[in-house]
Amino acid sequence: MAVEYQPKIVGFLCNWCSYAGADLAGTSRICYPSNIRIIRVPCSGRVDPLLIVKSFQQGADGVLIAGCHPGDCHYSEGNYYARRRLALLHTFLEYIGIEEERFQIQWVSASEGKRWANVVSSFTEGLSILGPRETTLHKETV
Amino acid sequence: MDFSEEIRSKAKELLESGTVDCVIGYERATDGVGARPLFVYQPNDIDRLIFDQTCTHNLTKYLLNRKDKATAIVVKPCDSRAINLLINESQIQRDKVSIIGVVCPGVVKAGLDNTSGELQDTCRMCQQHTPVLYDFLVGELGLEPDVPDTYPDVTGMEDKSAGERRAFWEEQFSRCIRCYACRQVCPGCYCLECFVERLDPTWVGIRIAPGENEVWNTMRAFHLAGRCIDCNECERVCPVNIPLSLLNRKLGKEVEELFKFQAGIDAETPMPFSTFDKEEKLGISE
Amino acid sequence: MSEFISKQNLLTWLGQLIGERNLVAPTRVDDLLLFRKIDRVEDIVFDFDNTTLSPKEWFFPSSETLFYVDRKDGQTELMPAAIEKETAIFGIRPCDAQGMTMNDYPFLEEPADDLYRQHRDITALIGLACITACPECFCTSMGGGPHDTANVDILLTEVTDGYIVQVLTDKGKALLPDNLLATADVSSPLAPVLSEIPSEGIAEKMRQAFDEPFWDRLADRCIHCNICSYVCPTCYCFDVRDYTDKERIERVRSWESCQSPGFTRIAGGHDPRSTKGSRLRQRFSHKLLYFPNQFGALGCIGCGRCVRACPVNIDIREIIQDVQQLGVKSEA
Repeated sequence: MAVEYQPKIVGFLCNWCSYAGADLAGTSRICYPSNIRIIRVPCSGRVDPLLIVKSFQQGADGVLIAGCHPGDCHYSEGNYYARRRLALLHTFLEYIGIEEERFQIQWVSASEGKRWANVVSSFTEGLSILGPRETTLHKETV
Repeated sequence: MDFSEEIRSKAKELLESGTVDCVIGYERATDGVGARPLFVYQPNDIDRLIFDQTCTHNLTKYLLNRKDKATAIVVKPCDSRAINLLINESQIQRDKVSIIGVVCPGVVKAGLDNTSGELQDTCRMCQQHTPVLYDFLVGELGLEPDVPDTYPDVTGMEDKSAGERRAFWEEQFSRCIRCYACRQVCPGCYCLECFVERLDPTWVGIRIAPGENEVWNTMRAFHLAGRCIDCNECERVCPVNIPLSLLNRKLGKEVEELFKFQAGIDAETPMPFSTFDKEEKLGISE
Repeated sequence: MSEFISKQNLLTWLGQLIGERNLVAPTRVDDLLLFRKIDRVEDIVFDFDNTTLSPKEWFFPSSETLFYVDRKDGQTELMPAAIEKETAIFGIRPCDAQGMTMNDYPFLEEPADDLYRQHRDITALIGLACITACPECFCTSMGGGPHDTANVDILLTEVTDGYIVQVLTDKGKALLPDNLLATADVSSPLAPVLSEIPSEGIAEKMRQAFDEPFWDRLADRCIHCNICSYVCPTCYCFDVRDYTDKERIERVRSWESCQSPGFTRIAGGHDPRSTKGSRLRQRFSHKLLYFPNQFGALGCIGCGRCVRACPVNIDIREIIQDVQQLGVKSEA
């Protein structure tokens, strides 16, 4: 029996808004695919592009960053910095050959449990169609 | 072009007057064709100084080894932008540096002599032939070049498919031997502990392999986003010819388009990633 | 009369070798020339000076797994990294072959490095004598020569329509295809003449020069990358780290260079070679003083790669000349 491809998704969720939103999805018993592995960070502004590039190197098929809506950051400005940094990273990842569908940034508030589930569902579905990202992990040099 | 006499004369003046302890310039390399950096501490070494179109090195990185010492330095326009960057980021003090700026038509390809006229690719796309910062100017102020498309190399890469780009970069990064010459020569890379050296946690580690090489090269470029002054030294020094400028210039192009910013044009404008605009829309989740 | 192989027969032989073992030879990669494993004889470059990187990576790879420890079902299994099938390196220059012999000193001195020994045992060297020399070559001043047969299993010297074949070892003999060779009345061309570098007595001069400010001045322009050490056939410093995931621990050894800042930084933060001059002096002292003192031969084999590759023209030939003069000239 063929094993269906299950995308591996790494999610960086800010503690105050998006992680709480994901938690709300859970307590509300809203189902969404379990492909996403969630890493809780204090703020989307903490997300270093290195973490994202490393996730892809280690075998992630998709990476999702979620933070507070601009203007609502728990630390006032963290997500403004994140917005600039991650917007640039998005075009750069595409340029080095990581398809733009594999990286998403979403603003999800603590009350948006349903929205969180939708975000993850559609991201996962898109990645299932796109296929796995062939990893360069431990590839031997010639 | 040959400004050796002018450079020597200015260097002599600055050394003999005690304005500086050291002049960082260029001398002829052992192949008799190219140039190499020269540190002049004594007036009797002045005559070794040269300046012509083989003087490709960006000497500004050496200023970081002489932070509290009065130094004169010979800079081309791209190099002069690095000085603005380092002042902006509080790495050097303006009053410690005497800047001998040279109006530069471009430097020739490696291995060619001053008369060859065959410019490096990056010089052919250059928009800045006059130093942006100097105390003394060598050469005539003239018209800036009319270069209509300043990033043809980047758009060429952008026009390829994602698969083509992936294959291209995989091939390039597989050759990397992690000599870190790109980092060592770059005036923007001055972290006391580079992320690649961090072993706890291990972001990249010591393994020299394609996956790690990809993280190294792409993240170094990203750490220079909005900071790279486009001197192309990283690509020049790479022993395995990885086209690093294609990474740095892509980020330079995006930063210019998104934030209307170019690194090192002055020393005062806030750096794009140290600031933000509340109202800006950058195409995320809107 | 000499043993001779025609160009055509050489191609046939190399094709046979591809079938029976790993064949490594110089090949074009973008506009670089590198030693790579060859799948097609057409990819081999025959007309070249020398490669950008040395062939040492075939004995001492830039990264190598020393062993794996797998944990499965509560059991632990230690697996030494396995060496693959027999290898032949075609197109190695006499200087690089001498470099490999130099590496044998530190790696094979007991207790020998098992992986290196395996690489050496399974690899045959088919040398290619130098018809021309790069401007930076100086092997004749460092105990070698463009037609030197000392460190290869077979040496081929190009003549009209083919190559003179000299078989030096049993390993080389076993590799040869008898039916592709002929005898011919050809003699070897003269070896190219290289510039002389005054290496005589350099070790003692280096010892005397230890405290000279010469090294700090030279190091002013050094950017302390790893290029010289990595392109050098005889540099062999490395670091070892363990990498783990849930089921496997992997111990990896990778190239390192004494030039990089922090190379000698030790626990507690002390760094005995924290200055640029001390690091630069170390590399040349190792090549020209410590290695000869320890093993009786110069550590530099005069291939000139570091001279070509150094971004700031730190030139070992110039350094040897300057150090020889240091006692003679008055203080600068």
